Amino acid sequence: MTVTQVTWLREVRAFRGALSCCIPMTAFLAVCGWTFMIMLKHNEGSVLQIQSLWGLAVAPWLPILSAILTMRLFSEERATGMIDLLLSSPIRERELVIGKFLSALTVVAVALAVSLVVPMLALPMLSASVKGLVRPVAFAATYGILLLQASTWCAAGTMISVLFHNQAAAAVSSLVLCSGLPVAIYLVVLVWVPSVRMEMAWLPLLMHVYDFSTGFFSTAVMTLYAALTVFFLFGCSKLLACLRLRG
Amino acid sequence: MLEVVHLSFSYGARRVLDDVTFDVAPGEIVGVTGSNGAGKTTLLRVLASLLMQDEGDIRLDNVDPLARPIKYRRGIGYLSEYCPLYNEMTVEDYLTYRVRLKGERNLRVRRRVGETLEMCGLDAVRKSRVRPLSHGFRKRLGLADALVLHPKLLLLDDPLAGLDVPHRKKMAAVLTAASARSAIVLAGHEIFEMLDWCTRFIVLHEGHIVGAYRVSEFKKPDLARILERQIGTGEEDEEAFA
Repeated sequence: MTVTQVTWLREVRAFRGALSCCIPMTAFLAVCGWTFMIMLKHNEGSVLQIQSLWGLAVAPWLPILSAILTMRLFSEERATGMIDLLLSSPIRERELVIGKFLSALTVVAVALAVSLVVPMLALPMLSASVKGLVRPVAFAATYGILLLQASTWCAAGTMISVLFHNQAAAAVSSLVLCSGLPVAIYLVVLVWVPSVRMEMAWLPLLMHVYDFSTGFFSTAVMTLYAALTVFFLFGCSKLLACLRLRG
Repeated sequence: MLEVVHLSFSYGARRVLDDVTFDVAPGEIVGVTGSNGAGKTTLLRVLASLLMQDEGDIRLDNVDPLARPIKYRRGIGYLSEYCPLYNEMTVEDYLTYRVRLKGERNLRVRRRVGETLEMCGLDAVRKSRVRPLSHGFRKRLGLADALVLHPKLLLLDDPLAGLDVPHRKKMAAVLTAASARSAIVLAGHEIFEMLDWCTRFIVLHEGHIVGAYRVSEFKKPDLARILERQIGTGEEDEEAFA
């Protein structure tokens, strides 16, 4: 087994039994289901398809789930001192980082898959003409973009957890970076350049989900999320290496 | 085997290690002692690649940790002062995880873990979770982790701290057995116990080496007195260096 596999396996096992994973996942599923039902009710007769509604209901909560799941990845190791044993072992920082990141992403992927239950349960309530439009491929595309976004949030959360001993501080910082910062930038742009209001009626992060759910794929968007993920993971391994410089 | 030449390290403006030079031969057990804040833990952390020195060189069998970090770290086993462990795992699972993480081949993992648990007297608790283990067993598990892959150099930070007499005896027996395969550098204050199994002592004071003694050249009570006095005063011992 490689270092990445060993780390992934340990972290997934740690997630499996931890309240810090079960409670956020349950809350995430509940809040996603609630958001979906509200949106379904308010968009009756609109052009929004059911997979788009599902994607738009889940996307705003993903940064919060990712921040809570990733907060303990390195901050717990730093608080307990396990980071010393890890860094004195014959392993590369990037292997450790990727293993931990993938474990958080695995949990998010499972949560996303389980959240699909709500639209599935809602299907019988829909009219026959709408049901005819529901295609698994559209759900798969929506799932894909949500997972891509989640990978960015998880990578950012993993990087930020290196900076803190305290898990709560790591979670709050991740939330500010993943949730607060994009919204703040969006609002600033709208205020600064009111003319783009027509082109950017929605937050671009939600627009990406909507586009993918309707079959409007963009390699630029996929590259953006992949590049951000790699950037955060690279930053994370460099921050770990920096711990050797300042202790 | 281990060569440390003109090693210096600072936390910001505060010099913690200053021009530290010594070497360790295979099979030696070197005790690093000194008052609190003398730089013992920092020295071990630099040797364990957890901190990067400001100046000086470290070589373990001619491997430079800055040039070939993975190869260097493959040659060391490190026991931290606080002995952190994953509490939710069982003793056996924890050691298996650590052996796999250190890159041991799958076929050898079970054998390595079995041997080490037996050597460290952890067989009876192999299926127990780490959380309820006593401090003594936790230290032994930390030691098992450090020596499970038979490293060339064992770095032990305060291995006897907080242990009762039976655990200290067991720890001493394990270290004596381990010294057949590894050189050992250990930091601590328990001079009387350390005199029974250390072959050499280095006394640190405010980051400097103020004394270096070969145990075989002294009577144990005399050496204990010299060490205690030197730890207290930090006076340099010219004769010992000569």
